[in-house]
Amino acid sequence: MRKNKQFIHVAMIAIVLGAIAAAVAYFGNWLPAPASREAGRIWFNFWAATIVSIVIFAVVSAAIIYSVIKFRAAPDDDSDGPSVHGHTRLEIAWTIIPTIIVVLLSVASAIVLHENSKAGPNPVKIQGIAQQYAFAFKYENGVQSGILRLPLGRHAALRLTALDVIHAFWVPDFGQKQDMVPGQTMTLVVTPTRLGTYPLICSHLCGLGHSIMRTSAIVMEPAAFEKWLADQKTALAGPPGEAGKTVFTNNGCAACHAFTAAGATGAVGPSLDDLSASATAAGQPLEDFIRESIVAPNKVAAKGYPANVMPQTFAQLPKDQLDALVTYIAENGKGGS
Amino acid sequence: MTAHAEVHAHDEHHGGEHPPELYLSSNYPQTILGMLLFIGSEAMLFGAFFAALFFVRVVNEAPHWPPTGYHLPVFVAAMNTIVLVTSSFTMHWSLASIKRNNRVGMIAGLSLTVLMGITFVGTQIREYSRIGFAPGDNAFASTFYGLTGLHGFHVIIGLLLLTFALVRGLRGHFSAEHHHGLEIPGIYWHFVDVMWIIVFITVYII
Amino acid sequence: MVAAHAEHHDVHHASAQGPRSPLGWILAAGYIRCLWTIPMMFGVGVGIMALVRWLEGWGPIWNGSIVTTLSLITIPLGFLGGIGAFDFWGRYCFGQPTEVDDHKSHGAKDWRGYFRVNTDHKVIGVQYVGTTIIFFMIGGLLAMIFRAELAQPGTQIVDTQTFNGLISVHAALMIFLFIVPVFAGLGNYVIPLMIGAPDMAFPKLNALSFWLLPMAGIMMVSSFLVPGGAFATGWTSYPPLADHQPLGQVFFNMGVQWAGASSIMTALNFLVTIITMRAPGMTFWRMPLLVWANFTTSLLVVFATPFIAGAQFFVAFDRVMHTHFFDPAHGGYPLGYQHIFWFYSHPAVYIMILPGFGIISEILSVMSRKPIFGYRLMAMSLMGILVLGFSVWAHHMFVAGMAGWLRVPMMLTTMLIAVPTGIKVFSWIATIWNGKITLNTPMLMSLGFLSMFLLGGLSGIYLGNVAIDIHAAETYFVVAHLHYVLFGGSVFTIYAGIYYWFPKMTGRMYSERLGKIHFWLTFVAFNLTFFPMHWLGLQGMPRRVADYAPEYGNWNLFISISSFALGASTLVFLYNMINSWVRGPKAPGNPWRALTLEWLVTSPPPLFNFEQIPTVVGHPYEYGVKGAQHAILNGPTTGTPAKVGAH
Repeated sequence: MRKNKQFIHVAMIAIVLGAIAAAVAYFGNWLPAPASREAGRIWFNFWAATIVSIVIFAVVSAAIIYSVIKFRAAPDDDSDGPSVHGHTRLEIAWTIIPTIIVVLLSVASAIVLHENSKAGPNPVKIQGIAQQYAFAFKYENGVQSGILRLPLGRHAALRLTALDVIHAFWVPDFGQKQDMVPGQTMTLVVTPTRLGTYPLICSHLCGLGHSIMRTSAIVMEPAAFEKWLADQKTALAGPPGEAGKTVFTNNGCAACHAFTAAGATGAVGPSLDDLSASATAAGQPLEDFIRESIVAPNKVAAKGYPANVMPQTFAQLPKDQLDALVTYIAENGKGGS
Repeated sequence: MTAHAEVHAHDEHHGGEHPPELYLSSNYPQTILGMLLFIGSEAMLFGAFFAALFFVRVVNEAPHWPPTGYHLPVFVAAMNTIVLVTSSFTMHWSLASIKRNNRVGMIAGLSLTVLMGITFVGTQIREYSRIGFAPGDNAFASTFYGLTGLHGFHVIIGLLLLTFALVRGLRGHFSAEHHHGLEIPGIYWHFVDVMWIIVFITVYII
Repeated sequence: MVAAHAEHHDVHHASAQGPRSPLGWILAAGYIRCLWTIPMMFGVGVGIMALVRWLEGWGPIWNGSIVTTLSLITIPLGFLGGIGAFDFWGRYCFGQPTEVDDHKSHGAKDWRGYFRVNTDHKVIGVQYVGTTIIFFMIGGLLAMIFRAELAQPGTQIVDTQTFNGLISVHAALMIFLFIVPVFAGLGNYVIPLMIGAPDMAFPKLNALSFWLLPMAGIMMVSSFLVPGGAFATGWTSYPPLADHQPLGQVFFNMGVQWAGASSIMTALNFLVTIITMRAPGMTFWRMPLLVWANFTTSLLVVFATPFIAGAQFFVAFDRVMHTHFFDPAHGGYPLGYQHIFWFYSHPAVYIMILPGFGIISEILSVMSRKPIFGYRLMAMSLMGILVLGFSVWAHHMFVAGMAGWLRVPMMLTTMLIAVPTGIKVFSWIATIWNGKITLNTPMLMSLGFLSMFLLGGLSGIYLGNVAIDIHAAETYFVVAHLHYVLFGGSVFTIYAGIYYWFPKMTGRMYSERLGKIHFWLTFVAFNLTFFPMHWLGLQGMPRRVADYAPEYGNWNLFISISSFALGASTLVFLYNMINSWVRGPKAPGNPWRALTLEWLVTSPPPLFNFEQIPTVVGHPYEYGVKGAQHAILNGPTTGTPAKVGAH
């Protein structure tokens, strides 16, 4: 068969394969809908790589399939194929063209990397601190929260670190990820473009609680965000019950503990609804027992729960917040109500 | 001819199964090539330790190095350097001697090398006990003990190899034609010496 | 000289006469001797610890943790000494007469020969392949346990610490005890034959290299039995997490050292063998590509492996001597571990694929009856991958927190390494194009490799792109990529090589029908298991998690079931191998009508491979040229031994 006809047949197979691959790429819902400008740029790179990949996949697979069908030796054919050792121009071509393609992809990526690191003149500055196994986000006005809240449309500069081992910050819908390393602070920029609540996941193996180390990122209207920030600040300065509930919610206690008073239904750690019996068993007054459980969780072994899952750094909460929290839990965790 | 006859007599005894006459595609002696490649991998092991030092000193931007309050015995280490470098010369003398069939020179050179090696190790151990900090103090101490300890471990291995060569030398093994068993530990010893110079400059001087 | 020889001869014969005395049994190299050398070395370790702790005044004298750590060094040494891996050198070092090689420890006449220290590269090759397949099975079993756990959201079968242990040991076994050494084994068997040599350059070192391997594997598997469980920080074992782990962590730190030592020694052997023992007429440009591949791989091993040794030493020191290499509170730099670790572990992935590339080149050429297309560029692309491979390590650290600018040059080198790899894929296709293709099992496995490695390479393009990697790193997308290149890539080449050289190694033919069943089962189950992982990762499922968001439950169930099918496919392979070896039809010397030297001798080959070193007269892939020969047996050798051949 003439060489041109062969190439046409290969091209036909390639087109079919390419169409199938393109359909899988298009309809496969591969990426979350982008919720940040950074994700938008990253997704663009993804699709550029996908187009290149579909073409290469289609052509190479077509060549393999065609060869396997067309050049299969008949069962009684013992002869050899033609003694073709190479083709210099072809070899030069398939060296140079891939080089150009990968360099172009790299340049596109470097540009996105640069753009995605720009925090602009007035970003929301948030400190992100990871520890085994919870995130804490500190805002400039002193408010601390276990859930990341961001205003829509504004750059957020997240300064990320960790206290014990390496963790990572990842919000799939934002497309941004950064390892959180003890002893250093890395800045990650997120510019949300969609309202909503998105999973915020630790993606770096950090110990036995790695798979439960997740929280949420909530994108709010800018006005609502500012109001929330102000409200949190006031609540912290308010009556202990209010302040205590704020500290409870902000520090992500609900992720692991059930506590009816706060509407929490976490099931990783023990329920806090009735702690009187545990306090008595430990030979301590209720408030002291609660305080010790918070600042030194490994000392108080709750039956049936493994050590080293509850973060051990709540001792570093500001004293007034810790006091408010203890009072709040003690008031609502007596049981029998 | 005799060797050939030997081989045949040998074969017949073993029912005809014998290795074919060896053909070498390179003039380079196999054992020396092997030792050089091995030294290449050892150099890379030191490379990993130097990398660790680079990270804690340079990348971490350590403000003072050594940190305040830490002092290194540079003078003693410098003396030790002279000892080790001299031992390379005596090693070379030993090998050169046997190449001229001078057995006395070979044994003398080798013995001096071993003695100087032992002196080096002994001095290093003594300095460890007097240096005033432990590996667990901080990253500076860790990298110091890491690099000098790795090197010291290699000196001990080198001394073992040289001791084996000395034992064989005393039992009459080497000659002007056959001295790989001395040359190869000698190459290793020179590597240990050169590596010390690099360690000394990196850890004690700069 | 003659007298000395006669003396040794008598010594040899004296020991061959009469039954062994009881003392002889205890002192002779073998498993019985291990019964006392192991406790003896254990005692030495305990003694050293006791002495040091007593002198320094550290109480108590007995410390279980230190005893265990030291035993991970002393007990393997005791075993190795007992079975005789050090016997020759022991005598050599103390100037005792060493026996002129009476070839007693060379070759295997029966199954027993495979279980002792054997200097025959063919026996060692089989020992490697057998041992590594066992660890492949164990690693796969661990995977099926954690896939059973992952089949449903929530924690059902194992707790999270055990889960982390399962994934860590799975990866460590697959990498250090299967893929890296199985290529060493296949190469060990084939390379000396392929270059016309009677054995490797250092046969006794070769034997020692093999025996280091089961030590490493037993160490890693036995970490499950230690209080606190198996090492659970991933095979990457990053500090600070790895610094504060239960005792099982040390089993990884030490196990890697033994496996690494084995790997380096074998690589040294390959390099010296390939450089100095090629048959006359075999210039570098007439070497088969498998030899080129093992040559470049061995260079990678020799120069890169010490870095992982260093990294593991640091973690061990942090634990035992409380050093602070990676502890920021004391001036350490956590990312330092990652740089040092990946400086080896990236070249490691090339170590795990380049020999496979060599195998594929051999098989595609033979089964298409065509020369390799672009042979010189193929050889140079191997060298290109070798050099570039040392410059890309930080692409494993794009989100790690190193200096942001460093990511760009690393991305460039990473993307550029696709070029030599692409050259190979295109050349392989051009090789089979217009050939006379036979679709037997080795060929099917090779074609499976070609298509799966293509996919793995393409997903690598995504991950090499920093912007995309920021989203896709540390997710199941990476798990998908690594399995496409390591299973779809390396494992298919390993299967291909084992089937291809099975007749040569065993003298029998495997069952072609079972081989094809094995191929199709594996190919389908493999894709069903790993393709969906690309989607899971991009959607939001991180890796190394015992539990995940409920919306991924259905796909995880599908993947788990597919993985059980994949596991089952290995049983077909095992049955075929064992059954065929025992009672398969006898195989001819050259069932594939191939040109390379290993096929010119009997199946299995004679004890010393060749009666006379052959002469290489042509190219190894000269198919399609009437009367072309690569080498002739028992031809004239060019002059006396140790003469340098024509270059």
